[in-house]
Amino acid sequence: MTPFWGIMFKYILKRILISIVVLLGVSIIIYTLVRMMPNDYVDIKFASQLQSGSITQADVDAFKELYGIGDKSFKGIVSGYFNWLGNLCKGNLGLSFKYEKSVASVISENMWVSFAIALIATILQFLIAIPLGVSSATHQYSARDYIVTVLTMIGISLPTYFFGAIVIKIFSVDLGWFPSNGLIDASATYPNTFAGFMSKLGDMAHHLVLPIFVSVLLSIGGLMRYTRTNTLEVLNADYIRTARAKGLSERKVIYTHAFRNTMIPLVTLLAGILPSLFGGMMITEQVFGIDGIGRLAYNALKDGDIPFVMGYNMFLAVLTVIGTLFSDIMYSVVDPRVKLGK
Amino acid sequence: MFKKKDKSGYLTIKESRKIIKYNIKQMRYYENEKKKKVDPSAYITKMKDPNNLIEIDNLQTHFFTDNGTVKSVNGVSFNIPKNKIIGVVGESGCGKSVTSLSIMQLVQAPQGQVVGGEIRFNSDDLSLDEEENKLAYNIVKMPTKEMYKIRGKDITMIFQEPMTSLNPVFTVGYQLDEVTFVHYPEKTKEEAKNHSIEMLKQVGISMPERVYKSYPHELSGGMRQRVMIAMALSGDPKLIIADEPTTALDVTIQAQILDLLKNIQKRTKCSIMLITHDLGVIAEMADEVVVMYAGKVIEKGTVREIFHDPKHPYTIGLQKSKPLITSNTDEPLYSIPGQVPNPINMPNTCFFKSRCNKCIKKCSNKYPSEVKLTDTHVVSCYLYEKEGE
Repeated sequence: MTPFWGIMFKYILKRILISIVVLLGVSIIIYTLVRMMPNDYVDIKFASQLQSGSITQADVDAFKELYGIGDKSFKGIVSGYFNWLGNLCKGNLGLSFKYEKSVASVISENMWVSFAIALIATILQFLIAIPLGVSSATHQYSARDYIVTVLTMIGISLPTYFFGAIVIKIFSVDLGWFPSNGLIDASATYPNTFAGFMSKLGDMAHHLVLPIFVSVLLSIGGLMRYTRTNTLEVLNADYIRTARAKGLSERKVIYTHAFRNTMIPLVTLLAGILPSLFGGMMITEQVFGIDGIGRLAYNALKDGDIPFVMGYNMFLAVLTVIGTLFSDIMYSVVDPRVKLGK
Repeated sequence: MFKKKDKSGYLTIKESRKIIKYNIKQMRYYENEKKKKVDPSAYITKMKDPNNLIEIDNLQTHFFTDNGTVKSVNGVSFNIPKNKIIGVVGESGCGKSVTSLSIMQLVQAPQGQVVGGEIRFNSDDLSLDEEENKLAYNIVKMPTKEMYKIRGKDITMIFQEPMTSLNPVFTVGYQLDEVTFVHYPEKTKEEAKNHSIEMLKQVGISMPERVYKSYPHELSGGMRQRVMIAMALSGDPKLIIADEPTTALDVTIQAQILDLLKNIQKRTKCSIMLITHDLGVIAEMADEVVVMYAGKVIEKGTVREIFHDPKHPYTIGLQKSKPLITSNTDEPLYSIPGQVPNPINMPNTCFFKSRCNKCIKKCSNKYPSEVKLTDTHVVSCYLYEKEGE
């Protein structure tokens, strides 16, 4: 092993050990919060039967005991937490109350739809926002700069559900170009052949245009502003003047000398990318009725599905920790002044 | 500017809008001028004296700020002869750096623009015309695209801050090789590397191979300034502009860097335009001196004339305000009274009038014209104007 990889290995190992402590803390906080929610899964599920008198309060309490959420005292929450933790150590995230399957399988089955949407949206977002930000910075105070800034500001300010509703109204209700809801056409059946698969894929793509459009448009703003500010700062640096004094063309000055330096702060954003890629988009999926992991988590949270909410949030926490580690390693790659290992 | 007590220093909203409107119009005009594709005949002129490398003629560089137009360089004229070191002195904000950046077309755009005058550059690419006059490029009129060929090759620059003037994310080698690749695209990687290492050796770096591979943050300030000089040398320049090259360095390194520059000048027979506010450096290095004050040249001459026979009250004041090891320590160091006038709304009279201790009646007239004392010594002051002129 070269010394570099040795340092890297030690560094990563150290960070993982720290991460375990962080994750433990995160799990305690989330579990306590979830258990302290005013109504739980059993209450919600049997509310109507209890009212009509088909079951008694004693039955409900018995169910609660069965689900392991009966004791709401401090002791009950602590023992519930250690029970959950013990199962986790055995690699068991528990059974989801609502989906009646193991949490791990619910997550792994529904993750990929969200991942596909998020991946396409993220790639588009970067491809659009970074060049926009750079060109807006190099043409500071020009008409182009003002137009881009105003449009992206509108993008930042619009809430997803509101903009989503407008988009559905215009493009699927009035114009009828795209479907408003779901992932595939409910009435269509696809034969189990390659051609069938391809047309199914086409149908899915057709359904995904609007959600991706909405999420990209609303997230460009932040990244574009970030890129613009960084580029402006870098363009005023002394080494940019040196690069110009060398006789480099303006294009080269901006895209080699300035761009590498602009990218350094952008690496911070990488930390947030992993959870946003796999975690799903709660509101967008809800608005467009897509059964991704974001929507499942939203419904589980609404119904007090403790094992699923725990599993989902721990999944996000692990992704965040990995994302942060990844971005810290990337720092040392893009910026030679950063040394790992301290 | 902001601390001004008298009310006329403040702008009304109406005035401020007018200024901004005017600025936008001006900046757009000059920016478009630089982007235009023009016929070479538009920016090729004749040298007045073929022995000069650069002839600056009535150069005007203005900054369009929100408070009004700042005439940073306001009609500067001087020549840079071949194979000479020209020192440019003056206090902070007098337009030394802006003059040098104007030569490179590197004035902070779009606010800063060269609005008038000529900078004639005696390029070897151009020959004589029919009347045996040496042709030259007029840098003021040159489009930016053409300027790329001159920057870094014929005219190079060393900046004041070696700590921030090198790009932190590229190795020294990469940044040095770049100069070769830009101006000699036919060179291979190996040739560029050898050339860069040769340059590093020339500026007195003892382990050029190692410095070639290192990043700027791994080097000391003096080393970085040497790298900057190597970069400036790499294109085999006719003119090196050194903009306060030693201000950010400690005294022992200063002497080394100045020695290095002097040796390089002797060896390569290039010219150096040395900008500094350190008169000692000028006395040591320069062949000719240009003294600037508030955007104008107030006195120029050979180094002997300026130091032994200074004429302009400002130059005399500058000399007096230099600490000497022989001077009486009980006496406080002389300083020129007053401050540089507000660069916006300069008076029509001599700019130094309010601080001058030799003011005469005539000084209330318009700005004094240049008075030739000898062939080389020129001063702008009414004290030396002959009767009848």
